[in-house]
Amino acid sequence: MTGTRLPTRPVTTSETSPGQRKKRRRFDLLPYVLVAPLAVFIVGLALVPAGFTVVESFFKVDTLDPPTRFIGLGNFRQIFLDPLLRTTVVNTLGYVVIGTALSTILGIAMAVTLQHRFAGRSLLIAILVLPWALPGVVEGIVWTGIWDANTGLFNSVLTSLHLIDHYQVFLGQNRWLTIFLIEIVQVWQITPLSALLVLAALQNIPGDLYESARLDGCSGFQAFRRITLPLARPGIAVAMVQAVIATLNVFDQPYVLNGAAPAGSSVMIQTYLVSFQNLNFGEGYALSLLVTATTLLMSLGVVKLVYRRVEY
Amino acid sequence: MFSSLRRNVRLTAGIAVLSSLAVLSTACGADDSGASEQTSGVTINVTLGAQPPPQAALDAFTKSTGIKVNWTNLDWDSLQTKIAAAATAKTYFADATDVDWSRVGQLGKLNWFYPMENYLDTKALTADMPQLSSFTTDGHVVGIPYDASFLVATVNKKMFADAGITTMPTTIDQYTQNLKQIKQKGVVQYPLNIPFAAAEGLSTYWYQTTAAFGGKVLDKDGKPQFTGRGSAGYKAAQWMVDALKQGLVAPGNINVTDSQGQQTLMAHGQTASVFGDYSGNVGSLYDVPASSTVVHQVTYLPTPGVDGPAPNMSNPDGIGIPVNAKYPKAAAKFIDWFTSAKNQADFAGLNGPDKAWTAYAMPSRLSAVEQLNKNGNIIGGDTLAELLKSQARPVFPGGAPKWYPQFSTAVYSNLHSAATGAISVDTAIKTIADTADRLASGQ
Repeated sequence: MTGTRLPTRPVTTSETSPGQRKKRRRFDLLPYVLVAPLAVFIVGLALVPAGFTVVESFFKVDTLDPPTRFIGLGNFRQIFLDPLLRTTVVNTLGYVVIGTALSTILGIAMAVTLQHRFAGRSLLIAILVLPWALPGVVEGIVWTGIWDANTGLFNSVLTSLHLIDHYQVFLGQNRWLTIFLIEIVQVWQITPLSALLVLAALQNIPGDLYESARLDGCSGFQAFRRITLPLARPGIAVAMVQAVIATLNVFDQPYVLNGAAPAGSSVMIQTYLVSFQNLNFGEGYALSLLVTATTLLMSLGVVKLVYRRVEY
Repeated sequence: MFSSLRRNVRLTAGIAVLSSLAVLSTACGADDSGASEQTSGVTINVTLGAQPPPQAALDAFTKSTGIKVNWTNLDWDSLQTKIAAAATAKTYFADATDVDWSRVGQLGKLNWFYPMENYLDTKALTADMPQLSSFTTDGHVVGIPYDASFLVATVNKKMFADAGITTMPTTIDQYTQNLKQIKQKGVVQYPLNIPFAAAEGLSTYWYQTTAAFGGKVLDKDGKPQFTGRGSAGYKAAQWMVDALKQGLVAPGNINVTDSQGQQTLMAHGQTASVFGDYSGNVGSLYDVPASSTVVHQVTYLPTPGVDGPAPNMSNPDGIGIPVNAKYPKAAAKFIDWFTSAKNQADFAGLNGPDKAWTAYAMPSRLSAVEQLNKNGNIIGGDTLAELLKSQARPVFPGGAPKWYPQFSTAVYSNLHSAATGAISVDTAIKTIADTADRLASGQ
């Protein structure tokens, strides 16, 4: 394997003089000062609120039922007893499995296609990134016109191809079909980022590896399986982690396409309804905490399973 | 040179740290409790889910009062979230903002808005503003209605005529029969629009249909009035789901919201009637060539009931003053001006298009409606003015209960599930009733 080393330069005696060494050991405030604004923002706007969320999830914080009081695990108990929430948990797991699998497979396929240079490649990359740049709500509205049962494009295409004889209702009738179709919309959004992450990993793979493999009689598929996939694992792991995070927190697409209907509702929709509609912030904090913990655990799981340190 | 650069970098970084600390302290700890009594020389923030009224009107208000208005337009959902977040954090959000009729009970209980009777003579307004009762809870007026939206049936009279219907229905049985006739004659495949998407529009449609069947949803204590099979609420739910099953409503309507159905189905001749339409839609949607293919074909119909015209459920928009407002008295002056009969008539187009407010549906003051009707400025004005005066009723006469949002979620998610066939109407009604009972008992 090849390695990249930083250029070295000879060390002069003047650089190692005792006086200079003393100077170098002196505490330098500048790096800390430069990092401080960002650190203050992260601590103030992310860590402190996160801390409050953890603490307040053990309190009854219901503006319609004051005062705020300690209830231990009461909010968590309430969450697990709520049948609607159990439905949304299963739905969300559906989003995670479908979304992560599809976006990873499609992301790898796109990255492998884009790995080779061809005319219009840059333009194609720019177009591919478009869905990722669009807000989820906009995508939901766009796809409403595709899945719509009365006037939708999908029905129109299927009818034109004589695959169906009359317009069908795709969203809302069957739970898993609804989840699948909604998740397609999110996959359309998150796949470009997956593709770019995997592509970045692919571009680090030295070309001579493929050349050697070809000389050894390796087929294209074998090269993909034996070289591309193993060496792209760091990129694939990061792509999968971002897919897990996005799908666990899915909100815009199901809300726009399916409203708050139980068949398709996600945990984040439920968190929004509990917090801002029912004004039960304590339960909302507990739900947010559970989602955060689940995201962390699943991300760690993906990293453990998929990530491998690669050295060329 | 490098040491000078280094010093500059340190200085800049230091300023950045201080600035970020200052921003953070503002963001995290501000409690703008010190309201000012000033009513002149101030700028107030007004946030509603609508485009601003004509700038000339706002300028005239500034000229006469010295109060400058900074108008922000936010969509309804974001607005409700911001109101809740700001009030919970006890932070300033706006000086005057939306008070939705469905949140009156919640807002009244939480004391998030100043009682309007402290600022305006609300008793004197009652006679001219029939929908003021929808904004009153525990004897306090939480907001002042600035338009008079209510639910009313609309029909495409051409489609009815094409099906050979010459006399418009006055009862729900005749109405249902007419819809079947329209379908049978092949005038349109799905003659009725019901927005079965799991959203607020489905709940309000059911309240209106319940009223048409001669009943109400909850009593004054919040107890459900729709549990028995013979109750109006039960019959209304069954009628709605049956309409879907019998092919009077398009199967795809399980994902259609109220506004989508009005804009894409009714306005484009794909359906012949909306039972719970919005007052003002004929003039602002169906008769506008840019948004409709059924111009001059749609008319209001006094909502068919059991034995004759039924009550119409109020669905008005209101404006109130959050308790964290900076200038509550100035905001009250604005609300007084904003909801005056003269301005409402101007906004509705009485004095020409320059003074008209495009986002405006219909005045909340009877006197303004009558003026407009006299001058022929409201399409279907005779029907609307009469309905507003005699038939428009609040959904919850004592104000919506504080737990209304949870109740509404139960209503629309269960009726939606019944429409998809996931559960029966019986199960849906039972679940909604159980939810109401649980919420009313304070659990």
